Amino acid sequence: MTLKKILKSDIKELLRQSAKEWEVYAPVTAEEGDTLFTRLPKEKGKLEKALQGINLKDEWVVISPKDAFFPQLEDMFHFDKEKIIDTPSPSKKLIFGVRPCDAKGILFSDEFFKKNYEDKYYLSRAKDKLMIAVGCLTPPRPEACFCTSAKTGPFLESGFDLQLVDAGGAYLVEIGSDKGSEFVNAHAKLFKNSEKDEEDKVKKIKSKAAEAVNLKVDFEKALEIMKGKNDFTENYERIGERCIYCGGCLYVCPTCTCFNVLDDKKGDKGVRRRNWDGCVFRGYTREASGHNPRDKKSLRTTRRYEHKLKYDYSATGMSGCIACGRCLTSCPVKIGMSKFIEEITTGKRTM
Amino acid sequence: MDKKLTTCIYCGCGCGLYLVEDGGLVVGAYPSVKHPVSKGCLCVKGWNAYEFVNSMERLTHPLIKENGKFRKAAWDEAIKLIAKKFKAITKESGSNAVAFLSSAKTTNEENYLMMKLARAVFKTNNVDHCARLCHASTVVGLAATFGSGAMTNSINEFEEADCFLITGSDTTAQHPLIGSRIINSVLERSAKLLIADPRKIELSKYAAVHMQQKNGTDVAWVNGMMHVIIKEGLEDKAYIALRTEGFEALKELVREYTPEYVEKITTIPKEKLIEAARTYATTKKAMIVYSMGITQHTTGVDNVKSLANLAMLTGHVGFPSTGVNPLRGQNNVQGACDLGALANVYSGYQKVTDPTARKKFEAAWNVEGLPGEVGLTVTEIISALGNGKVRGLYIMGENPMISDPDQNHVRECLEKAEFLVVQDVFLTDTAAYADVVLPAASFAEKNGTFTNTERRCERIRKIIPPPGEAKADWKILCEVAKACGYKGMNYNDTSEIMEEIRKVTPIYGGMSYKRLDPHGLSWPCPSLEHPGTPYLHKDKFSKGKGSFLPRPFIEPKENPDDEFNFILSTGRIYWHWHTRTMTGRTSTLEREAPAPYVELHPEDAGKMGIRNGEKVKVTSRRGHVELAARVTGKVAVKSCFIPFHYREAAANVLTINAIDPIAKIPEYKVCAVKVEKI
Repeated sequence: MTLKKILKSDIKELLRQSAKEWEVYAPVTAEEGDTLFTRLPKEKGKLEKALQGINLKDEWVVISPKDAFFPQLEDMFHFDKEKIIDTPSPSKKLIFGVRPCDAKGILFSDEFFKKNYEDKYYLSRAKDKLMIAVGCLTPPRPEACFCTSAKTGPFLESGFDLQLVDAGGAYLVEIGSDKGSEFVNAHAKLFKNSEKDEEDKVKKIKSKAAEAVNLKVDFEKALEIMKGKNDFTENYERIGERCIYCGGCLYVCPTCTCFNVLDDKKGDKGVRRRNWDGCVFRGYTREASGHNPRDKKSLRTTRRYEHKLKYDYSATGMSGCIACGRCLTSCPVKIGMSKFIEEITTGKRTM
Repeated sequence: MDKKLTTCIYCGCGCGLYLVEDGGLVVGAYPSVKHPVSKGCLCVKGWNAYEFVNSMERLTHPLIKENGKFRKAAWDEAIKLIAKKFKAITKESGSNAVAFLSSAKTTNEENYLMMKLARAVFKTNNVDHCARLCHASTVVGLAATFGSGAMTNSINEFEEADCFLITGSDTTAQHPLIGSRIINSVLERSAKLLIADPRKIELSKYAAVHMQQKNGTDVAWVNGMMHVIIKEGLEDKAYIALRTEGFEALKELVREYTPEYVEKITTIPKEKLIEAARTYATTKKAMIVYSMGITQHTTGVDNVKSLANLAMLTGHVGFPSTGVNPLRGQNNVQGACDLGALANVYSGYQKVTDPTARKKFEAAWNVEGLPGEVGLTVTEIISALGNGKVRGLYIMGENPMISDPDQNHVRECLEKAEFLVVQDVFLTDTAAYADVVLPAASFAEKNGTFTNTERRCERIRKIIPPPGEAKADWKILCEVAKACGYKGMNYNDTSEIMEEIRKVTPIYGGMSYKRLDPHGLSWPCPSLEHPGTPYLHKDKFSKGKGSFLPRPFIEPKENPDDEFNFILSTGRIYWHWHTRTMTGRTSTLEREAPAPYVELHPEDAGKMGIRNGEKVKVTSRRGHVELAARVTGKVAVKSCFIPFHYREAAANVLTINAIDPIAKIPEYKVCAVKVEKI
């Protein structure tokens, strides 16, 4: 793999240049303190202001950049009597500073949204994307990140276009695709060649970063157990009872792709929208008759865990959990995938 | 694309969330990780707080009713008409012939301006808001006992408490991010949970003791707990001696409330009462948590005073993770009270009956002759419309047709209103009776502050412009004042209003916008150097010594009899907010709870041959509704519960307009009904 290098002090200039050609999404620290993935504005003054807030530190960003392709709410089409105005929004998106686990989530969603039925809304945004990942030297959610267990981080082995390795004053840049290589060439002035010993340095940084991930679970064993015959009724009942049904776990999950479709209209005019939805809600599976195959809390809990750890895996070979730990950190009652995995692999009660 | 930190529009938790704007649409609501309440989490309502903002049903133009029908009107025309009518009415019938309903959904600045409009421009104290319907008893009861009518402690202190006594609060449904802290404390730190609630609420499953009292018997069980504590010598004698007054009278009064006597009144088995009393008294970090189940009674003030007595008796006030903690319902009901949208006080609870306070506000507002008599309260205002004493009413962001007791009475009164103005984000059931409807901006479309249940005043921030010609409530109020010839309500932005508030409101004295960034301050915060106050009554009570104010048990106004043989209580559910104006337009929430229902105990349902989901008729002396039966062990035998959100079967058709004599809060939690199979 070719290794390049970019000075940290050149990152703003890189983004400034990129913003001309791309819709750039990057982690920006808001004035009020939180770091969120934000589309950089094109207008110069606003862009400069946003660039001041660019933050590539290992911080907990509450929503992964999945919303660049699959926003919480979006217009699908507008209608006026018989006329339909479709509103997919194709664009070339550069996802800058995506974390390895979140990048896995996006790759997972890419597959989901083209399997069986091609979702033009998602795909129009995702097909021309470029992902520049940044590995985590320390876990952004120290109590919850368990990427080393699922092999989804703290660095990617593949799937990225470029990957940044924080080496102090500069990022060492791994090139993972032709698109990544083209991007480097297009900004050749900013990407320097790396020194000889720097490949070794990358290895060292990566192994140190992996050691920094404290939370470990037996992920492979969990997948095996879920594949086979099992009975976790007690776990599902207990978790289902503890849950307060905020939906947070699925809203923050980088691989959750469920949406609801809704119409808003006034007279002959209206708009069809879709928004994030999920399997923990009773209404999600309630049928028109009123019958609900997953009325019981425990059945909805079962669905969530089996979907992530069993069905996704058997259908795609990829687990639906990318071990980001967000379900735990955004759960008001501290339920999380890592805890569930610990329960089923060790028999210990964690929740 | 823009993302701005704002404060959730729903309950009093006051979670910090980022609204996400893209292409003029509000496309998301994300929890703030750094905010001290949300900490990366939200409840389902918070997560979905973005959706209703975009609704095509939003009001976008002023409307004037002509020949029974609304027509679009220009702002200028609508405002002039309001000024003309209100001025004519007050000229003919005096200042108190008009009244103003402010709103716990709007900002502090807007509540301040509403009371300024009523008082400075129209010289009436007829200004009130829905706190009257939720925590008026708290404001009165805790002010009398402690000297400050607010939640004593703060939300994060729930994470350290070792005992909770929760009564009349379905905490996980109404204040989910407080409820979750309680669950975590019980499951992870073995905190003890004591519940006194007629219903089996979600938290009951975690309770060490669940006392299922008969509705409306709260004074009795609280007195009973104090009886046990004193009898067993568990009271905090040093604390009582040092920090309180009136203990002997309390001791005398609770003497007769033996566990046996209390069991007769409340049906709580005496063993449970004794266990709860011992646990609460002997745990150092013990918090009392309550809500509408305590306040919405004809004895609401008595209930609150009794809980305050209990907390003082055991030395549980003035320390972290203790106190008496009324959970305020609305996002800004605390603020609306703080800013004086109440019939008896100016901002900062300065009494209108106090000549010094009047003088102070006359000087600040550059007016003369501020009225010194207490004005009419919410339910009194509505009744006064009916009998013609109030001829003109201005309602901002309230929907009394659905939220006030005895709907048929409310309808009759609204129909009789000579001139009704309704200012809201949607055309509500109340707005249908208006002569002028003014389109207001939602929380996403304006700046300002909300004050959450822990007295934390925090910012909301504008992320999109209002739809059509809609305007922020504060701007509208300023235009009305100006049209009425008053020159003292001109502001360029909301921070200027806050500067005025700071000058006249000691508890908000240090709350400049600059200091409220990013996560707000809790009052009292008297100066720009003051760090705010996470918990009250440290070292001494706000009023000096805490006063024991013992109260005897009094029966509710309307208990069941042979004909109306069920007790009805009403309340909120997790998925909806109040009159469903916003949550009814939020797909995920509406889908979870699309239709009204009445909870019935399986034993009662069985006797009447009522199946789950079957339609039943529920009748009180005021009216009847038809709705689906939900057969559940949550309610006790011969009791039923109806969520008050649904216009389709409004619980408030049934409720009684009987009010607490001091706080004037209606008794939503007890009335007599009969239930029939259709």
